[in-house]
Amino acid sequence: MSQEVEILLVDDSPEDVELTVLALRRNKLSNDIHIAEDGAEALDFLFCRGPYKDRSFSHPPKLVLLDLKLPKVDGLEVLKAVRSDERTKAIPIVILTSSKEQRDLIDGYNLGVSAYIQKPVDFDQFAETIKQVGMLWLLINQPPPPGAFVASKARGA
Amino acid sequence: MNSSTKATAACALMILLSIGVLSFRNTLREEQDRDWVTHTRIVIEKLQAVLVDVTQAENSQRGYMLTGEDQYLEPYRAGIDQAHRDMEEVRKLTLDNPGQQGAINGLKPAVDAKLALLAAGLEIRRTTGLMAGAEGVAGAGSQELMNQVQDRIGEMRSTEERLLSIRLERAAVSARRMEAIIVFGNSLAVLILLGAGFVIHREACKRNLAEQDLKQVNEHLEERTAELSDTNSELESFSYSVAHDLRAPLRQIAGYSNVLLQDHGPRLDAEARRYLEKVEEGARKMGQLVDDLLSLSKVGRQELSLQDTPLDLLLRQVVEDLAPECSGREVDWQIGSLFSAECDPGLMKQVFVNLLSNAVKYTGKRERAVIQVGQMMRNDLRTIFVRDNGVGFEMQYVGKLFGVFQRLHKARDFEGTGVGLAIVQRIIRKHGGRIWAEAELGHGATFFFTLGSPGNNTITKPELSIRNEEIHVAGS
Repeated sequence: MSQEVEILLVDDSPEDVELTVLALRRNKLSNDIHIAEDGAEALDFLFCRGPYKDRSFSHPPKLVLLDLKLPKVDGLEVLKAVRSDERTKAIPIVILTSSKEQRDLIDGYNLGVSAYIQKPVDFDQFAETIKQVGMLWLLINQPPPPGAFVASKARGA
Repeated sequence: MNSSTKATAACALMILLSIGVLSFRNTLREEQDRDWVTHTRIVIEKLQAVLVDVTQAENSQRGYMLTGEDQYLEPYRAGIDQAHRDMEEVRKLTLDNPGQQGAINGLKPAVDAKLALLAAGLEIRRTTGLMAGAEGVAGAGSQELMNQVQDRIGEMRSTEERLLSIRLERAAVSARRMEAIIVFGNSLAVLILLGAGFVIHREACKRNLAEQDLKQVNEHLEERTAELSDTNSELESFSYSVAHDLRAPLRQIAGYSNVLLQDHGPRLDAEARRYLEKVEEGARKMGQLVDDLLSLSKVGRQELSLQDTPLDLLLRQVVEDLAPECSGREVDWQIGSLFSAECDPGLMKQVFVNLLSNAVKYTGKRERAVIQVGQMMRNDLRTIFVRDNGVGFEMQYVGKLFGVFQRLHKARDFEGTGVGLAIVQRIIRKHGGRIWAEAELGHGATFFFTLGSPGNNTITKPELSIRNEEIHVAGS
C-alpha cells in the first residue's frame, strides 16, 4: 500500500464518494485518494492499525475530507479521537457534509476542525468548492515536517 | 353575589337592627317602670316609718311620764328626729306628685302638733313631777292628734298604693312586651340565619361547580398547549430533516447530470443534452427551494440574540453584497439614514438582503432602477421603508404576498421560490414588529416594517405549515 496518500475521503455514500472523486479529478487533484466508508475504518487508517498496521505515523494524509453522518463511528467521534492524540492531532481535517446545523458547526469547531464546508447541490459549485479546498490544503498550505509528531507519546487510542 | 341577594341581606340586617333597637328601648322602659314601683314602695315604707317614729316618741314619752326615768328620753328624742327626717324624705320623694305634696303639707302640722303636745307633757312631768296632771293634760288631745296623724298617713298611703298597683300593672305589661320581643326577635333572627345559611350554601355549591368547570377548562387548555407545542416541534424537526435528507439525492441528480453532460456530452445529440440541462436545472431549483425552506424553518426555531444594532451599517453591507447582482445595470440607490435598533443583527441583515434583492430583481426590466430605503413615522412608530420603481403588483393580491410559496409573478418573468418574504415576515414578527406593502402594477412597490419592542413580542412560537399560512392582509 502506498504511503503517499494525500487525501483520506470518509463517506459512506458510494455516489457521494464518486461525485467527490469526479470533482477532484476535474481539478487534477485525485492522484492519491483513499476512501474509508465508515468512521471505524477511518480511525484504523489514521492510527495505522488493523488492516493498515503497515502504515506509518510519519506519513499522514495531507487532508481528511470527513462526512458527519457515518455508520459505526460518526464524524465528530473520528475528529475527537484524532485531535486528542499527539501523533495525529496536526492532521488537517475538513468536514464536508450536507448539514449546516448550528449544533454540528459548534461541535466541529469545539473539537478543532480545520474547516467546515456544506456540499452545494449544484455540481459546478461543488467542483469549485472542492478545487479551492484541494488547492489550499494540498498546494498552498505548508504541512508539518514529516515525523514531527511521531515521537510524541500516545495519549488516547 | 347578585343584586337581589344583596337586597335580601340588607333587609335582614335592617330587621335585626330594628329588633335590637326595639329591645334596647323596651329594656330602658321596663327598667324605668320597675324603678317607679320601687320608688312607690319606698314612699309607702317611709310613710309607715313616720307613724312608727311618732308612735315611738309617744311611747317613750309615756314611759318617762310613768317612771320619770331618763332612759326613756333617748328613744323619745330619736323618734322625734327620725319623724322629721322621714317626713322630709317623703316630701322629697313625692316632689313629682303635687297631690301628695299637698297631703304632706297637711301631715306636717298634725305631726308637729302631736309632738309639741308630747313635749309639753314631758316638760310638766320633768319640772313638777306631777304625773297625773300631766297625763291629764296630755291624754285627751293627744289621742285625737294621733288619730289625725294616722288618718293623714293613711290617706297618703292609699294614694301611693293606688299608684303602686298602676305602676305594677305597667311594669308587668313592659315585662310581657319584652318577653314577646325576645321571643319574636330571636325567632326572626334564627329564621334569617337559616335563610342566610341556605343562601350561602347554595352560593358555595354554585361557586364550587364553577371552580370545577374552570379547572377542567384550564386542564384542557394546558393539554392543548402541550399538544400544540409538541406538534410544533415535531413539524420543525420534520421539515428540517426533510430539507436535509432531500439535499443528498438532489446533489446526486445534479452531480451525475452535470458529469454526464460534461464528460459524455459530445456523444449525445442536442436534444439529449437539452434534457440533461433541464434535469440539472430542476435539481438546482429544488436545491434552492430546500435551502430557502431550511432557512424559514431555522428562523422559526432560532432564539433572537438581541443587541443594539446600527441599521445604517447593516444596510450599507447589504447594498455592497448586492453589487454582483447589479452589475451591467444602472441602479440608483437612495439610502436615507436609519436608526439603531435592538434586534438580532443576523436576522435583520437577512430582512434587508431579501427586501433589497427583491427590489433589484423586480426592477430588472427598468432602464434605470431607483431603490429608496429610509425611515419615517407611521402611527407614532418608527417605520423603515424599501421602495422601488419596478413592476409592482396588483393590490388585490397583497394578502398572498407573505405566504410561503406564494408568487405574484410568473417564473418565466422573475425567478424565485416564494419563500423570501415569508422569511422576512417571520423575522419581523419575531421582533414584535409588523410588515406590509403598497404597490401599483407597473409602478413599483413599497415595503414598510416596524420593529416594535422585542420585550412585547408575542409571536415567539414559529408558525409552521407549508401552504396557505401567513395569509396576511396588509394593514390588518
